Amino acid sequence: MNGLTQIQSIVTFAWWIALDFSVLLYVLLDGADLGAGIFSLFVRSEHERGAIMSAMAGTWDANETWLIVAGGVLFGTFPFVYGSAFPYLMVPLALALWGMITRAVALEFRHLAEARWQRFSDIAFGVSSLTTAFFGGMAVGAVLQGFPLTNTPGTVPTYVGGAWRFISPFSLWTGVAAVVAVTLSGVLFIRARFEKAEPIRQQAAAWTNSIFYLALAAVVITLAASVELFPWAAQKWLGPDAALWALVPLAVVFAAVQMRRAVAHDRDLAAILWLNLGVAIMAAAMMATVYPWLIPGTWTIYSGASPAVSLFTFTLTMGGFFPIMLMYNSYQLWVFRARVSALAAYH
Amino acid sequence: MQTTALAVFLSRLDFAWITSMHILYPPLTIGLAALLFLAEWRWVRSNDEHWYRLVRFFEKLFIVNFAAGVATGITMEMAFGILYGPFSQAAGPFFGQVLGYETITAFMYEAGFIGLMIFGWGKISRKMHLFATFNVALSSTLSAMWILDANSWMQTPAGVVLKDGFFQVVDWGAALLNPDVLFGFPHMLLAAFELALCFTAAVSAWFILKGQHVALFQRALKPSILALAVVAPLQVYLGDGLGRVVADDQAAALAAMEGHYHTYNPDGSVDTSWQVIGWPNAAGDDFAWSIAIPHALSLIETHTWNGKVTGLDDIPAQDRPPVLIPFYSFRVMVAAGGALVLLGFWGAWLALRGRLSAERVSRHRWFLRATIAAGFLPYISVWCGWWVREICRQPWVVYGLMRTEDGVSHMSVLEAALWLAGYMAFETVVWASVWYFLAKVIRMGPDLASPVAADGHQHLGELEAPSHDPDALPSYIRPI
Repeated sequence: MNGLTQIQSIVTFAWWIALDFSVLLYVLLDGADLGAGIFSLFVRSEHERGAIMSAMAGTWDANETWLIVAGGVLFGTFPFVYGSAFPYLMVPLALALWGMITRAVALEFRHLAEARWQRFSDIAFGVSSLTTAFFGGMAVGAVLQGFPLTNTPGTVPTYVGGAWRFISPFSLWTGVAAVVAVTLSGVLFIRARFEKAEPIRQQAAAWTNSIFYLALAAVVITLAASVELFPWAAQKWLGPDAALWALVPLAVVFAAVQMRRAVAHDRDLAAILWLNLGVAIMAAAMMATVYPWLIPGTWTIYSGASPAVSLFTFTLTMGGFFPIMLMYNSYQLWVFRARVSALAAYH
Repeated sequence: MQTTALAVFLSRLDFAWITSMHILYPPLTIGLAALLFLAEWRWVRSNDEHWYRLVRFFEKLFIVNFAAGVATGITMEMAFGILYGPFSQAAGPFFGQVLGYETITAFMYEAGFIGLMIFGWGKISRKMHLFATFNVALSSTLSAMWILDANSWMQTPAGVVLKDGFFQVVDWGAALLNPDVLFGFPHMLLAAFELALCFTAAVSAWFILKGQHVALFQRALKPSILALAVVAPLQVYLGDGLGRVVADDQAAALAAMEGHYHTYNPDGSVDTSWQVIGWPNAAGDDFAWSIAIPHALSLIETHTWNGKVTGLDDIPAQDRPPVLIPFYSFRVMVAAGGALVLLGFWGAWLALRGRLSAERVSRHRWFLRATIAAGFLPYISVWCGWWVREICRQPWVVYGLMRTEDGVSHMSVLEAALWLAGYMAFETVVWASVWYFLAKVIRMGPDLASPVAADGHQHLGELEAPSHDPDALPSYIRPI
């Protein structure tokens, strides 16, 4: 599928950046919501659980919008990848989507429901947050492992390997790691969104340390497993440019240390931003590692791109709608930044 | 792995289920957003509190419906790739790009203003809020345009050639302005307006019938019914236009939806009769019995007395769509559309004689009951219309170019059945919740007590201090 002109190759590369940027924003923004949902499973007071949902009521759907954007870019620009990766990921995607449907209903309709249903919907909210994070993480692990394609002349290579191939020790592990990572993000979100005297914030504060070390361990294990399993990772990380690559963990460690200092001084927003910076550095490093593959060993960004990519549509999107969306999303997060109390759940 | 006929059938059901459960919500979002804009505009212009109360009340219903649209809509974007992977790959250069446009120019656009519309009351100026409502209405309409454009291209795939296993776009203009979309999009858009008008009229009629807030809801009922008297006949006209596009470009589809089995009668003359109702025989190649009106089909489709309409017997057996569901869905849709025309005329006649005034409207109880019943008809029509459209395209996923069995992902029967079972469970819960909560919000009635939202002059991001009053409604709770 490689009949791209030079300008199309550049546009494809830029679309790939936009795609990964959307996914990263989704992970950073909705990750905190999912983590707070997982945390809510361990919150005993029903008012506090309600307050967690109220704390994200104004922003959760805007955060999920970035996933829709990523899906739209994938289908529009990389249709060959979209149409083969998604059948491969059918089961984890379906489970994550069922989780999202459940979360949306639990969040939006909680304040309309009778008290006995609220308890049920609170559990549904927590469990669906957990399953969405786990199967989302599993899908990422499965993508990193790649998948086989058909090779029939005159047709587009597609996936015929069955719905269960995504299951592997590595993908199971990335599911667990994703749950740990979003829980850290969620705990920081709870700290930032609740008034300092609230018991729920103290509970979140008590969690911060242990969940941080768990997340650190998860990152180290994932890196070690990647070196062991993926030649494309080991070759770059341990190759001639190893010294350059070593800067990445240094930068991440710096962000992590800053995050912990911010936590220690109750500078909650700064803690979130430092965490996001660390995740963004790791994501960028992962992109550089995987390049030129979009899905390692399966599709490169150029072989998976639509021959119809054009500078025109790219400019329209990036110049027009992306900045507006970014500005709006930031405005919304800013509007809903105020700390809340558990009283919020009364309605 | 072999894809069996059963697995293909199940994956068709999979997609049919999620689309049928999604299309319940967007038409109301599209139509009601436009009506909310008109009502809010009248409030801003006239400063009449009635309009403000109506806007705030119907906005609550809008929000419940919108949340369900989001919950069921995220799946749709992923489902093309999951269930129809090879189709998504082959059609991606056109179809994926159009859906991408939808995401960016409509979905993101809408997401940008819906928050301001819901949470912005009293925080931004009235005119700014009106502007937000306008943009929600416009962006949801744009969304319908892109979706219908993509779907219409599957019906009448213009501007592409099938090469190297995928559709290469040779003429973007022809593909975007394919024959079907010119009637298909207006038909769907008008369906959304008709549905929202009937919804608004039905809710209003319910309150008037119960004698609650009569003066308030009379203001919503009368213009809705008058608009219906214009929109419903126009919709019949557009439907007829779309039918002729189908007759020109999709002969097999037309023959299936009209149950037109034979081009010619046994005596060699053209078969011109329109089957009102009937039941297919065991072989599925003719009606076992039917009631038919001679010349009616030729009149409808060709606008001539004896015009020839291609029957199913002129279509190769392997290219014939199923008949029974489209045939009856089409008739139900037409009957519902006709009933709405009659209701619109009835209401217009009452209005002309001054019978829909706040003092007199309560007396016309049968009219009010009929209006409440009519609130459900557009939902049935929209379902039936889409079933006709999608089932009549079979056995093609891209009409005449790509068969459904070649476009479907290679799923086993078990996988396809698991998907179906899961979505039946989850989306039924969404549906039940929406009906339950819509009914609950309607029973709670409009809020006539809280102060009318004034012009807010907040700086960006400024919020009032968190309240410690246990009865205070925090500002980030969706206003129900």
